[in-house]
Amino acid sequence: MIRRALAPVVHWVAGHPVISIIAFFAAFPFLVPYKSLATQVLVYGLFALGFNLLYGYTGLLSFGHAAYWGLGAYGTGIALAKLKLGSLWLAIAMGLASAVIGGAVVGFFCLRRRGIYFAMLTLAFSQVFYFAAFHLADITGGDDGLRGIPQLALGLFGYQVSLASPLAFYYFALAWVALAVAGLKRVLDSPFGAVLLAIRENSDRASACGYDVNRVKLVSFVFSALITGLAGSLDALRLTVVPVESLYWSTSGQPVIMTLLGGAGTFFGPFVGAATFLVLADRLSLFIEWWQLVVGLVFMAFVLFLPRGIWGTFLGGLGVR
Amino acid sequence: MIDRRTFLTGTIGAAAVMACPAVLRAQGSPIRIGFPLPLTGPFDWIAADQQKGAQLAMDVLNAKGGALGRKVEVLFRDDELKPAVGAQRTKELIENQNVEFIVGGLAAHVQMAINEQAKKANKIFISISQSDEISAKPDSGPLTFHEALNPTITGRSVGAWAVKNVGKKWWIVYADYAWGKQNNAVFTDVVQKNGGTVLGSTPYPLGKPEFSTHLPKIQAARPEVLLAAVPGNDAVAFMKQAISFGLKQQTKIVWPLHFVDLAKTVGIDAFADTYGGTSFYWELQDSVPEAKHYVEAFTKKFNRPPDSYSGYGYSGIMEVARGIELAKSTNSDAVATALLNNPSYAHYKTKQWWRKCDRKAFQDLWIVKGRQQLKGEWGYFDVVSKVAADEALDRTCGEKGYA
Repeated sequence: MIRRALAPVVHWVAGHPVISIIAFFAAFPFLVPYKSLATQVLVYGLFALGFNLLYGYTGLLSFGHAAYWGLGAYGTGIALAKLKLGSLWLAIAMGLASAVIGGAVVGFFCLRRRGIYFAMLTLAFSQVFYFAAFHLADITGGDDGLRGIPQLALGLFGYQVSLASPLAFYYFALAWVALAVAGLKRVLDSPFGAVLLAIRENSDRASACGYDVNRVKLVSFVFSALITGLAGSLDALRLTVVPVESLYWSTSGQPVIMTLLGGAGTFFGPFVGAATFLVLADRLSLFIEWWQLVVGLVFMAFVLFLPRGIWGTFLGGLGVR
Repeated sequence: MIDRRTFLTGTIGAAAVMACPAVLRAQGSPIRIGFPLPLTGPFDWIAADQQKGAQLAMDVLNAKGGALGRKVEVLFRDDELKPAVGAQRTKELIENQNVEFIVGGLAAHVQMAINEQAKKANKIFISISQSDEISAKPDSGPLTFHEALNPTITGRSVGAWAVKNVGKKWWIVYADYAWGKQNNAVFTDVVQKNGGTVLGSTPYPLGKPEFSTHLPKIQAARPEVLLAAVPGNDAVAFMKQAISFGLKQQTKIVWPLHFVDLAKTVGIDAFADTYGGTSFYWELQDSVPEAKHYVEAFTKKFNRPPDSYSGYGYSGIMEVARGIELAKSTNSDAVATALLNNPSYAHYKTKQWWRKCDRKAFQDLWIVKGRQQLKGEWGYFDVVSKVAADEALDRTCGEKGYA
């Protein structure tokens, strides 16, 4: 009964991800204990979304997405704190450019190998960025992290919009997330998106069909880095610090966990995963010091018994693909 | 039927009852202080000590009726020794718990992330662990206070004392990150200024305490003093290797800081006959009246004497309360002004004071030496000297970027 009533709604939601994400996240800050938690979910959801493009839709498991997250964060942070650029737009552009260039270079080399070799290469490259940031203390702040990022107002059509309140910043971030989701939707719906799926399902056959598999993978890799870089850039603005741990390999694990928890290869999965992980962490850590054990068990349970993740299982249960 | 008068009386009465808790709440609501610290992670043992100090301060304050007649409530949050988590936790404390002040932090990089959030929210942040940057421009804001010692003060105090009293020829082993590098720079400088020489220095990657390739070279150079700027768990590995290579018998080992809890974990032999600085050692109760009071209350509550960082936690909370009472307000700006205008305090040891320009606390430091025989359950060290608080031991406010 409920299932029959719910199925068309969920079907519609899954079919209109952009409108659905905007509608849901417009109300989201009022559903969680405090606004900054909502922003954190949004930003990490975007991080996982970028990862999911590569893993869920192209079938490439990257263990080095901390690199583009960190490049986006440092690009924006350095623009504001060191170069003293007075524009939020320019600062975000610099973060995105850093992530895209980083993604293009790393992708160019890593995509020459497959499977575990690919994953290890991405990991190694991200560690190179980590050590570079660790030792270039004059530019990056070294292990104390990059500080002194001012909280600029957003210049919009001649007006200066303050982002100082947590809610204002949240909707600022949501606008970017909506843009990224719309862009991703457009890409996945295009013939190019179909080629991505073909590569995920059978790369050899896609190649036999005449597609330049490596080039398609590289474009997907760079686009993934762009979305991840945007998330990193927003995180730098959100915290007004960039910890050097942003580039550390353990940060690369976060989107992997969130994506698998929420459901790889689905539009909402990364956001569902990020929300579950972060809200659980936030609330559990108030009561128990070993909350990571609980989250770890939940994660294992999903991977073992519900490999399609929370959202994937939900869709499957309702017969929606 | 209810007549009009009964209805009115009843309604007014009900409204009054419903309004009352709001009034009571406003007057009786506790003053909340947020306290982020790494309850999990490699420095959880220091964080546990900081937390105990803050808990004791809360008890002591509330037993006397709190501050301005309101209870003081300290909310602890685990920052996992990660800056991003520390920042998020601080946001939660400010937004969700409406804390008026932030005290806490361990490790320089996490302090920075906490400090940025407190600065944005215009709340006082009293940092209670070591960092040179936290009290210097551009990191320090007008409401950033620093209660702990810092690497410069520690290095200059311990270094100058050890050159005069332990030996002139030095070798420095340091962890290759901000704190280690600062120690290397400060100690090298102070040793040379006091007529000593630094024969060499060895950086090693933090968290990878493998010294066996370095130790023969150090032994061949025959230094009289070996400074080990080796933190936490690395220190344990360092001492084991130094003992097995025979270095400890040949050279006097000096640490920037000694900890009772670390000595207890590793065992008394490891730190026996080695020197170190400390902001507090519990046996000071024999000579300092405030310390006696503090150590007794602490031991009564926790069934063990305090280590050094609990003093910072205790004093940090006490200073917030003192500032509130002086300012007759919980407004951070008012409290900061009140503290800087009445800078002297002594909550748990000898007199301390705030320097107005950089809001840095100045305090005595003690040199302790590891005992060969444990005295009681917790008597790991002998107090060998006191280095009196002196603003000249820190960088000047000009050097720290204050005009």
